[in-house]
Amino acid sequence: MRTATAVPIITAHEVGIHFPVAGGRTLRAVDGVSLEVHRGETFGVIGESGSGKTTLGRALVCLERPAAGRVLHDGDDPYRLSAAALRRHRRDFQVVFQDPNAALDPRMTILRSVREPLDVAGELPRAERTRLALEMIERVGLNPEFADRYPHELSGGQKQRVCIARVLTLRPALIVCDEAVAALDVSIQADILNLLADLQREFGLTYVFITHNLGVVAHISDRIAVMYLGKIVELAATELIEARPLHPYTRALLSAEPVALPSHMRSHQRIVLHGELPSPVSPPSGCRFRTRCPMAVTRCMQDVPAWREVEPEHFCACHFAEDVGDAIVPQRPGGTP
Amino acid sequence: MTDALLDVRDLSIHFRSGAREVQVTRKVSFTIAPGEVVGLVGESGCGKTVTGLALMGLLPRGRSRVTGNIFLGGEDFAAMSPRQMRRVRGRRISMIFQEPMSALDPVFTIGEQISETLRAHRDVSVGEARARAIEALTQVGIPEPELRYDAYPHQLSGGMRQRAMIAIALVCEPQLLIADEPTTALDVTVQAQIVEVLGGLCARLGMAMLFITHDLGLVAETCSRLVTMYAGEVVEEGHIDDVLVRPRHPYSSGLLRSLPALAQRKATLPAIPGRVPTVAEMPAGCRFRPRCAHARSVCEDPQSLVDSGNGHVRCCRQEELVLPGALRGEVAA
Repeated sequence: MRTATAVPIITAHEVGIHFPVAGGRTLRAVDGVSLEVHRGETFGVIGESGSGKTTLGRALVCLERPAAGRVLHDGDDPYRLSAAALRRHRRDFQVVFQDPNAALDPRMTILRSVREPLDVAGELPRAERTRLALEMIERVGLNPEFADRYPHELSGGQKQRVCIARVLTLRPALIVCDEAVAALDVSIQADILNLLADLQREFGLTYVFITHNLGVVAHISDRIAVMYLGKIVELAATELIEARPLHPYTRALLSAEPVALPSHMRSHQRIVLHGELPSPVSPPSGCRFRTRCPMAVTRCMQDVPAWREVEPEHFCACHFAEDVGDAIVPQRPGGTP
Repeated sequence: MTDALLDVRDLSIHFRSGAREVQVTRKVSFTIAPGEVVGLVGESGCGKTVTGLALMGLLPRGRSRVTGNIFLGGEDFAAMSPRQMRRVRGRRISMIFQEPMSALDPVFTIGEQISETLRAHRDVSVGEARARAIEALTQVGIPEPELRYDAYPHQLSGGMRQRAMIAIALVCEPQLLIADEPTTALDVTVQAQIVEVLGGLCARLGMAMLFITHDLGLVAETCSRLVTMYAGEVVEEGHIDDVLVRPRHPYSSGLLRSLPALAQRKATLPAIPGRVPTVAEMPAGCRFRPRCAHARSVCEDPQSLVDSGNGHVRCCRQEELVLPGALRGEVAA
C-alpha cells in the first residue's frame, strides 16, 4: 500500500484539456485539475455527464494531451519520451470503456480480440501469444470455448469480461475503468465488480474508476474525486466523502442517489438541485456550482473558491466548506463499517 | 380485487416470426389501485417493457399475439379493436419512455405535440389547447412555458425533454401512467427532479403509475408496491417495505443483495450467477432454478404464483426459506 514518500503512479498538476468549438470559443472540458493516484489504490471519479470525467481519464493515460498543466507517470513526463517509447509506455496504462459492443470488433473472434494487444506489441512468438490470451480468457471467468466465438454470440457481461481480458494481456500497472459497469444489469454488474477486485489483488493493479453511480464508486474506491463542470470540487477518502461531505454539490449528489431501503430507514432529506449543468463553454463566474447551489451568496459569484485542504487529507473548493461539513449529512447504509 | 383500477389477468405475450411463435411473457397477473404507484422490476429481458407496451396496445398486431385480460376501470383493453384502443390510449392510459428524444417528433414543437394529444381526445379549440398545453408545461416544471411551447425537441436538454414527454402523457389526465425507465438516461440530480415531478403529479391528479425500472433504489423511493418479473413471469408481488426487508423469492433477494450501495464496502458482492435465459433455453419447472442457490428437486416442477399472506410469490420453498433483503444480516436480525 502507499507510503508518504512513494512517488504517485499518476500526478496531475493544473491539467487543462481544451477543445475548440464553433465561434472561435474554447470548451475547457477539464480546467486546472490537480490530483495524485497512488500505486495499488482505486481512485474513484464521480460526476454527471458533461463534468469532464471521461476527458480527465483519457488525459491521465495520455490519450488526450493537456493544453495546460502536466501529467506525470511515476514522476516523469511521458510526453518527453520518443514516439516509439511513448507507445511502449502506454502498455502500462489501459482503459476499459462503457460499451463493450463498441470496443470489440464484430468480425474478430474473441481470441483474436484478446490477443490483439500482444500481436501489436509483437514481442512474443505467436504460439506464446495465443497461450497467454487463452489464459487471460479463462482468468476473467470465461469458458475457453468462447475463444472461437464472435462478440454477437456473447452477453453484455461476457463481452465486458473479454474487454478486461484484453487489457490485462499486457500486464498494465493501471486501468482506467470508464463507466465499465454502467451498461450492465445489477447482478452482472456485481459479478464484474467482484472480478475487478480479484484482479486488483492478483496483479497489484491501480484503478481509476470513472462513474456516475455513487453506489458503485463508493463500494470499490479508496478515495473519491467529485467533478463538476471541468473541475474537481472535492477529494477525500471514501469514508470521509460519505460521512462528512464538505461541498454542497457532493451533498446533493449523495442525497439524490436513490437507496433501496424501507421508508422508515431512509431518514435523509433529499436535496433536489434546480436546473441542469451549465454549458462548459461559458461557465458561471466565481464558483461554477453557484447557479445551482442552495447555499450560494454574492461572494460565490465573484471569487473562485480556492482548492484547499479543509481537513486533513480532505480537499474541497467551496468558500463555506466548514459550514457544509457541520450540517447534518445523509447516512448511507453500507458505507463505513 | 374489485376496487382495482388496473387488473391484469394471465397476460401472455407471443411473438411470431414466420411460422414460429415464441412466448415472451407467461400468465402475468397484477393489479394497481386508483392513485397507487407500483414498481415493475427485473433484469433486461424479463418482459417488463413488452408488458407495458401490451397494456398500451402498442405491440405490432401482425407479429404478436396477446392472451389474457387487461381490465382498466372494468373494461377489457385486451379485447378492444385497434380503433377502440386509439380512443383510450393517451386519454385513460399513457406511457413515457426511457429516451425522450426518440419518443418525441423532431419536426413539431413540443407545444404542438401536447396540443395534438389533447385535440385528438377532447373537443377543444386551438386556443384552448394552447392554453392547456402551457399549463401542462408549467405543471412539469418547465421554466418559461410560453416560450418553450414553440421550442423543438432538439433545443431542450435531456431532462427538459423528459418533462415535455410527461406533459404530453398527462395533458388528458389519464387514470394510469406507464413510465418505462423514465430516468435511466438522465443524471442523478436530474433524475431526482423528474421523480419529484412524477410523484407530485400522481398525488395531485390522483393518477396511478406503473413504474418500470431496473433500479430498486428508485422503486423504494417512489413506489408503494413492487412486482418482480423474471424470465417473462411475475415471481413476487408485495408491499415495497415488506419485500425490501424480507423478500420471499430468491430472485428478489438476489437483486437486492447485488446492489453495491447496500453491501459492506469492498466486500465481495453476492451476485446472481448466470443470466436470464432466452426463450430457447427456458428451463422446465421453476425458471429461476439454474441460477438459484436454494434449488431442490421439487423446483423442477412448474411453480405457481401463490398468496404469501401480504403478497404473492412464485416459489415452492417460500415457507421454509428466510432470505436476506436490503438490510445487512446484523441489522435485520
